[in-house]
Amino acid sequence: MKGKALRRGLILGLALVFCMTTGVLAADTIRIGVASPFTGDLAAYGDNIKAGVSLKLKEINGAGGINGKKIELVWGDDLCQPKEAGTVASKFANDKSIVAVIGHLCSSATLAGMPIYVRAKMPVISPTSTNPTIGEVGKGWFFRNCYTDDFQGKYLASYVVKDLLGLKRVAIFYENNDYAIGLKDSFTAGAQAAGLAVTGAEAYVAKTTDFTPQLTKLLKDKPDTIFLCGYHPEGALIAGQARKLGFNGPLFGADGLDNIDYIKIGGEAANNTYMTVPFLAAAGGPAAKQFADNFKAETGREVDWMSANAYDCLAILADVIAKAGEDREKIRAGLAAMSSAENGFDGVTGLTYFNEVGDCSKPAFVKKVEGGEFVTAEK
Amino acid sequence: MFTQQLVNGLTIGGIYALIAVGYTMVYGVIQLINFAHGEIYMLGAFFSVTFIIILGMPFYLAFVLAMVCGAVCGMLLDRIAYKPLRQSPRLACLITAIGMSIFLQNLAMLIWGSRPRPFPSTALPAYFNKTWHFESFSITGFHLFIFSITIIMMVGLNLLIKKTRFGKAMRAVAQNKTMAALAGINVNRVITLTFAVAGAMGAAAGLMVGAYYNSIYPTMGYLAGVKAFAAAVLGGIGSVPGAMLGGIVLGIAEAMGAGYLSSLYRDGISYAVMIIVIIFIPAGFFGVLIKETKKSI
Repeated sequence: MKGKALRRGLILGLALVFCMTTGVLAADTIRIGVASPFTGDLAAYGDNIKAGVSLKLKEINGAGGINGKKIELVWGDDLCQPKEAGTVASKFANDKSIVAVIGHLCSSATLAGMPIYVRAKMPVISPTSTNPTIGEVGKGWFFRNCYTDDFQGKYLASYVVKDLLGLKRVAIFYENNDYAIGLKDSFTAGAQAAGLAVTGAEAYVAKTTDFTPQLTKLLKDKPDTIFLCGYHPEGALIAGQARKLGFNGPLFGADGLDNIDYIKIGGEAANNTYMTVPFLAAAGGPAAKQFADNFKAETGREVDWMSANAYDCLAILADVIAKAGEDREKIRAGLAAMSSAENGFDGVTGLTYFNEVGDCSKPAFVKKVEGGEFVTAEK
Repeated sequence: MFTQQLVNGLTIGGIYALIAVGYTMVYGVIQLINFAHGEIYMLGAFFSVTFIIILGMPFYLAFVLAMVCGAVCGMLLDRIAYKPLRQSPRLACLITAIGMSIFLQNLAMLIWGSRPRPFPSTALPAYFNKTWHFESFSITGFHLFIFSITIIMMVGLNLLIKKTRFGKAMRAVAQNKTMAALAGINVNRVITLTFAVAGAMGAAAGLMVGAYYNSIYPTMGYLAGVKAFAAAVLGGIGSVPGAMLGGIVLGIAEAMGAGYLSSLYRDGISYAVMIIVIIFIPAGFFGVLIKETKKSI
């Protein structure tokens, strides 16, 4: 009996493997990997990426594809964990039919995947990874369609805290990962230059739900505002707990906070939070507004910066593939050739062109939560 | 700051204690570390939210019903996953428990989605948000609610174990299953009811954490489960008062560690406390050291 069941299992497994591999053989499509956390705590972000690239995919394939070939997206779920990111990266790198990768979402995931992509000579374009050091690790194979935290952190200090809020004393509460530490460091440097006082910096680990010990410690020094340096699930909880501990001042954060779930989870406590974002439909041009409308019609929700950046990432890749051809090496060369404003790509998130390490300079916008909604923050 | 950290620590410690009791009771009767217990806690939170949002129930009713559901889930878990393995080696049960934990997490993800969701704050009684400010700390109605529920449950559980026939049967089964059966105790029923009590307390803890921290997600049971397990070990696994004390000690150690040492290592601190206790008092605070017999694995 046991042997029979075992044999049956084996046959089933083999059949499954066979089914999976035959899918790869279809060569009349251009395959692009998309790596993001599609499950787990940050699945909400992965959803955004999926929505953005899917919208562009529909547009490209609806218009006949690239040079008559349809694009096919291959999803890789990295859970925003470096360990999983390595697995996804190896999978993509070893699949010869995949010509480029959009991702990863989290900086720490991108940092983990990059060495593998470099070895396999795979061009990668991230819509969201803002850690400043990725460019170096990427050795010419990494590009990003977003600003770096070097810029974002300094902008938060010199503009958001100093000019917009007009405050002096800042407490930093950061997550212990590559994204938040990079951001915290550049903010601290910016704060020093702008003459702000950092009253304290505390760290937390992802997936924590109780932040009251650290908050109690931070609030002891009576800061004017707290920098929520991390992602929205924790940010929303910190906001709530800070309010419970009696803190009523403004909060602020970076692009990691920008998700409607921040308001949904934070509720009342989320009000009076400021954040920098790379894309704001209300502040963009007509293309951005058109995109925001299409996005809403397609998904039924408001557009967010991650979807917009992901949408543009696929648009950039499609553009490069159409010009340079569908080969990893050629795509990399094509992306690297977009090195100045003249030969940049004008997408919904503005003009994109890369410097020698694949970074691009993009403006930041500031929005805030008011009455349970995101609104553009103006001075 | 010290008093505030104490309040923070007691709050989370009480919750750990409620979950830890579930681990320790089940371990007491069948020597199984029920790793899926954290998932019952998660389900408790999800059930209550579902009751409140979809069925529009008031908070207290949802609280009671979530506990009932937690009890049912605990019993089902035992019936489906552990009962068929009652005569198998302990390792098989342990692996099944881990499997059930992963299964339940993913089931919750399928049903409710992976996005963290807020607790419907409008359903909470108004006094939860009332804050009393004192010289060195502030305390909310919610803190008091958690404290009082924790105390009521702990006292109730103690009475249940010490004073009722079921409690007596449970203690008998914990001591020796064969002898208990010979004395006319329905061992399987006692085990099932133990799972029910553990499940109800776990669900209550999940609900309170979900409402207090305002975030409910399918993987929330994992870390809470591990911490509570640490608390149970700290107190001496198998000992109910030990689990209670272990939970409180762990909660306070975490809050103080994060407040006075490094906040980054708060999880590390709680495990360090556990390790130190185990090195010096291997059986935990209240545990009894039993010589390992060959049969046990």
